[in-house]
Amino acid sequence: MTTTERHPIRGAEAAAAAKQASPSTAPKKRKRISAAEKKRRRAGWLMITPSVIHVGLWTLIPVIATFYLSFTDYGIFAAPKWIWFDNYVEMFNDAVFMQSIGNTIWYTFWTVPVSMAVAVVVAVLLNQGLKLQKFYRTAFFLPQVTATVAIAMVWLWIFNPQYGLLNAMLETIGLPGQAWLVDPKWALPAVILVGAWQGIGIKMLIYIAALQNIDESLYEAASLDGASSIRKFFSITVPMLKPATFFVFIISIIGAFQVFDQIYVLTDGGPANATTMMTYEVYRSAFQEFRMGMASAQSVVLFAFLLFVTLISRRVTKEED
Amino acid sequence: MTLPTIKALAISEQVTVVPRKRWFHHAKGRQAALINVALTLGSITMLVPFLWMVLTSLKSPAELAQFPPTFFPQEWMFSNYAATLDAAPFGLYFRNSFVIATTHTLITVVLGSMAGYALARIYFKGREAIFLAFIAMLMIPTYTKIVPQFLLVKFMPLFGGNDILGQGGSGWLDTWWALIIPGGLSASAIFLFRQFYLSLPKDLEEAARIDGLGEFRIFSQIYTPLIKPAIATVGLLTFQESWNNFLWPLLVTTSSDLRVIQVGLAVFQQLDNTQWQYLMAGTTMATVPMVILFIFAQKYFIQGFTNAGIK
Repeated sequence: MTTTERHPIRGAEAAAAAKQASPSTAPKKRKRISAAEKKRRRAGWLMITPSVIHVGLWTLIPVIATFYLSFTDYGIFAAPKWIWFDNYVEMFNDAVFMQSIGNTIWYTFWTVPVSMAVAVVVAVLLNQGLKLQKFYRTAFFLPQVTATVAIAMVWLWIFNPQYGLLNAMLETIGLPGQAWLVDPKWALPAVILVGAWQGIGIKMLIYIAALQNIDESLYEAASLDGASSIRKFFSITVPMLKPATFFVFIISIIGAFQVFDQIYVLTDGGPANATTMMTYEVYRSAFQEFRMGMASAQSVVLFAFLLFVTLISRRVTKEED
Repeated sequence: MTLPTIKALAISEQVTVVPRKRWFHHAKGRQAALINVALTLGSITMLVPFLWMVLTSLKSPAELAQFPPTFFPQEWMFSNYAATLDAAPFGLYFRNSFVIATTHTLITVVLGSMAGYALARIYFKGREAIFLAFIAMLMIPTYTKIVPQFLLVKFMPLFGGNDILGQGGSGWLDTWWALIIPGGLSASAIFLFRQFYLSLPKDLEEAARIDGLGEFRIFSQIYTPLIKPAIATVGLLTFQESWNNFLWPLLVTTSSDLRVIQVGLAVFQQLDNTQWQYLMAGTTMATVPMVILFIFAQKYFIQGFTNAGIK
């Protein structure tokens, strides 16, 4: 699970957990430690050691190394050379990397609100106790469980300028077909469409769970006052969903910033860098140009963006408490 | 207290997740019809790409070269699947993905549950520090560790011709080690397990301890059986992530023998003259296991995705 970008849960999960970090089985009074207690503690250490080693080796050390390498010139074959901020300076003067930051923000700006809006509407509709509820839920969630690479292959075919389904559909309703992924004007919107389409499921699920926690008596009272369904939606559902919305918003931004698989399959960052993303630039620097130092510096910038989002979310949640 | 009574006691505590409430106002009549229409249209939008994938995989090359495209195949070419397996070793890719996903799931469930249990239910020195460190690790994006992870694999000492300092060879690159070990466990799985173990009542362990059970037995025989749904949840999420993982196997393998199915698809697509019917057949093969798994184990997936989010 180390190398996935679709697990959108991490940041916010962690924020929630940090709050409840207090131990449940804390010692009452530790004046004397009995033999049994000693044995227990040893068992605890034994149980956690493999995980500590694994996470230490494959996460902690790599993170530290990333920061170190970002200040070096390193091409794998010779030892890293310390060059202070040269990578950062070069990166911010690199038009392609700056474009990748712009593209990433633009992608996030469109996919997150669009799929959130669809998700909340679908969740509310799904929560009305329909018979086919399960089928609908499965349909909306399916793109989330299937691999992004596989799904992107299908979209690649749908977007095909010559034989694609999308152009065929557009022509039946009298609209001109487009070259989509090979047209610099349309490539990013096409990628955004795929991202928004795929991102609905998880958001919908979180909204459904949040809806089930809304106190039903609120709706009862509103019904007695003669409020319409639409009125109830805007006056009760929307405000009550505010914490869930905030949570979904944050994890979605974090997820969207790490888009990679569909870029790799659909466009390779092209045409003319129209769809390149920060993640894609990290990949290109490290594994096509073998500039490990530069790739590390770029990934530090990506990390800074995500950290910024997480910290803001922390602050806002704190203020609300 | 005997083991069965302890278990019964815990089950009565309702340890599992997400209470399912019936919604108060059921939609009726015309309103319900409208909602159904809207949701059906939405579902079609979500499902059409999947349908299109399967239909394309069953068409002939001549039919695929028509515009506008036919919707249903004029001739159902089921032989495309056999031809796909001849065109690229998708069977092998499939097997590789399956082996890796299964191994990741086993490692995660065994090590993750032990670590989660220790963090939730045993007090030992340094526990809080370890927990906070895990939380911090949760927040690290993939791309902020991928370069050094790759370097660690490449310079793994004493493997693949490397000397003790990791020089001279290729380390774990292009080996099963690279595919299995780094992705074998994640901080998020440990975190989820901890949350599940925390939700169990404390009197169980006290009773068990009076009965003289050791910590490993309390873990394996009393608490772990009670979180079977959680194990299913974490296991399925791990399997799904591993099966769908693309970037890591792409980076660390080069030989076709070790290729996983997602990378196999990408390689097949990059060949000249994409054979769409074969590519879609391969994509269908890569997708179907997850779809089936999801449909049959939907409860656990949904618990996993929501629970991990809400708690």
